[in-house]
Amino acid sequence: MIAPLRSARVVAGLLIVLLMLVCALGAPWLASHDPDEQDLVAMLLPAVWQQGGDWAHLLGTDGLGRDVASRLLYGARVAMLVAGTASLGAAVVGASLAYVAGYLGGWVDWVIGRAIDVWMSFPPVILSLILMTGLGTGARNVILAIVLVDWTRFCRVLRAEVIVTAHRDYVTAARLSGFSHVRTVLREIVPATVPLLVTVLTLEMGIAVVVEAILSFVGLGVKSSQIAWGQMIADGRDAVYQAPLALLAPVGAIFLAVAGFNLLGDGLRRSLDVRMVEGRE
Amino acid sequence: MILWATLGRRLVTAVPILCVVSVLLFTALRVLPVDPAAMSMPPNATKEEIEAARREMGLDRPLPEQYGLWLGRAMRGDFGRSIHHRRDAGALVRETLPGTIELALAAMAVSSVLGLGGGLLLFGLRERTMEPVAETVTTLMMSVPEFLWALLFIFVFGVALQAMPFTGRLDPGMKLPGLTGFLVLDAVLTGRLDILWSALVHLVLPAVALGLAFAPPIMRVLRASLIDTYHEDYIRQARLRGVSEGRILIRHALKNAVLPTLTLMGVQFGFLFGGSLLVEVIYSYPGMGNLMVDAVRNADLPIIQVVGLTYCVVVLVINSVVDGLYLVLNPRLRPR
Repeated sequence: MIAPLRSARVVAGLLIVLLMLVCALGAPWLASHDPDEQDLVAMLLPAVWQQGGDWAHLLGTDGLGRDVASRLLYGARVAMLVAGTASLGAAVVGASLAYVAGYLGGWVDWVIGRAIDVWMSFPPVILSLILMTGLGTGARNVILAIVLVDWTRFCRVLRAEVIVTAHRDYVTAARLSGFSHVRTVLREIVPATVPLLVTVLTLEMGIAVVVEAILSFVGLGVKSSQIAWGQMIADGRDAVYQAPLALLAPVGAIFLAVAGFNLLGDGLRRSLDVRMVEGRE
Repeated sequence: MILWATLGRRLVTAVPILCVVSVLLFTALRVLPVDPAAMSMPPNATKEEIEAARREMGLDRPLPEQYGLWLGRAMRGDFGRSIHHRRDAGALVRETLPGTIELALAAMAVSSVLGLGGGLLLFGLRERTMEPVAETVTTLMMSVPEFLWALLFIFVFGVALQAMPFTGRLDPGMKLPGLTGFLVLDAVLTGRLDILWSALVHLVLPAVALGLAFAPPIMRVLRASLIDTYHEDYIRQARLRGVSEGRILIRHALKNAVLPTLTLMGVQFGFLFGGSLLVEVIYSYPGMGNLMVDAVRNADLPIIQVVGLTYCVVVLVINSVVDGLYLVLNPRLRPR
C-alpha cells in the first residue's frame, strides 16, 4: 500500500485529484457567487490582476455577467461525478466480461471478442454522440453513454491478463483442492488483476472528464441548467476577444483534472509494475 | 501478392462487422423517442398528414422489414433524404468526406512525424538526467485532448497573434474548383497556386491540433520498444563488429522496434478520425464531423445513419491497411 506513495507522480496526481474533489464537494461554500446569478452591469469583467479587475470576481465574469470562478467550482461537481461513476461502471461491466471470457474461453470468449471488434470499429466520439442522441441530455445519460462506450477498454486489457493468470499453477492447484469456478475466479484470479484494474480505472477517469466536456461542449452532455466545463467553453468562445478567461479558465480546469488522473495512473502503473497497452485511445 | 491476399481477407472479415454495426445503428436510431415523420413536416401539419408521411417513409412497418427496405436501398447507393437539409443523404456525405479525409491525413502526418521524432528523442534521453522531465512532459501532453489544443491554437495564433486563419477551408470569397473535393489535390490539378496556399494555411492549425493529441502515445511506445530491442543479442553483435551507433539505430534497431508502434498507430488513426469531429466543429471546417453534429442536434436520422456507417467503414479500411503494412514490414509473418 505504501510503495506507490514513494512515486512523485502518484503524490502529485493524488494532490490534484484531491484538490478537484474539494472544489467539487465544497463548491457551495467556496463559491463567492451564485453560479447562475447574472449581473448585467458587470458583464465580461477581466480577472482581478488585470486592468479594471474587481476583487468581487476573481476570474472575471462571462458574457452574461456570471462569476467565472464560481462556475468553475460548480463545474467540477459534474466532472468529478461523471469521472467517478462512469469509470466505475465501465470497469464493472468490462472487467466482469473479461473474467468470464478469459476464464471460460471457448464460444463465450469468441462472442465477447467479436462484440469488442464491433465496438472498436467505431471511433468512441462518434459512438457516444449516437448514444446521446438516443438517450437525451443529462448527467445520468452521459454516465450511461460512457459506460456503454468504454467498457471495451477494460475488457481488452484485462482479458489478456486473465488468460495468463488462469494458466498459472496456483490456479490449477485451487481447482484441484476443490474450489468452485466462481470461488477460483473471485479468490485467485481477481486479486491478481487488481493492480492492472486500478491503473486502467484511474486513466479512464481522465478520459471520462474529456468525454463529458466534449459532449457538453457540443450541447449533448448535461442538461443546460447544469454547469459543466464543456458548456463554459462553448459560452466563452463567443466572447473570446473581450473576456479570454471565460474560455481559458475551463480549458485549464479540464487540463488539470485530466493531468491529475494521468499522473496518478502513470505513477501507479510504474510502481505496481503492470504491463498494459499504451495509449489514450 | 500476399499483401493483397491479407488485405482481401481483412476486408472480407470486415463485412460481417459492418452488417452487425448497421443493424445495431438502425435499431438504436429507430427506438428513439423522436418521430422523423413529424419532424420532416411543417409545424402546422395535421395528424393525418403526419400519418401519411409515416406510411410514405415506411415507418409503420415492422422493424426487420424497415431494415430490409433500408438495406436494399443502401445497396443501390440510396441512403434516404436528410430531414433537415432536405437533400440526398449520400450526396451530403460525398461532399463532406473528402474534407475530413484531407484533415485526417494531414493530422496523421503530423502525429507520425512528432510521434516517431519524439520517440527517438525520448530514447536518446534514456538514463540521462533529463529523462524524468521529458517523461513528465509527455504525460502532461497526453492530458491535452485534441479539442483543447484546437481552442488554445485559436486563442494564441488566431486571436492573440492574428497569424493564422482559423475558420473554414479557404479564404472567404475563394471558389472551390470542385473536382474531387480534396482541395489540395484540386488546386494542384487546376494549377491554382493561390487556392493551394490558402487551403494549406487553413489546414495547419486543425491538423496540428489533431495530430498533437495523438503523438504522445506513439512516442512512448517507440521508446519502450527501442529499449526492448536494444537488449537483443544482435544489437550487441553489431556493436562488437564495430557498426556505428547511428547505423545500429537506423538499420538494425528501428526496423524491429517500429512494428509495435505501427500497430498502435493503426488503432490511433481510427480514433484520430473520430477526433476530427471536434476539431472540425471548433474550426468551422466543412467536413463530415460538422455534418454529424448538425444531424445529431436536429435528430436527422438518415444522416446519422449514413455518417455513422461511413466512420465505421473508414476505421475498418484503416485497420486492414495497417495489417497489410505490418506484413510487408515483418517478414516473420510471411509464409515460406
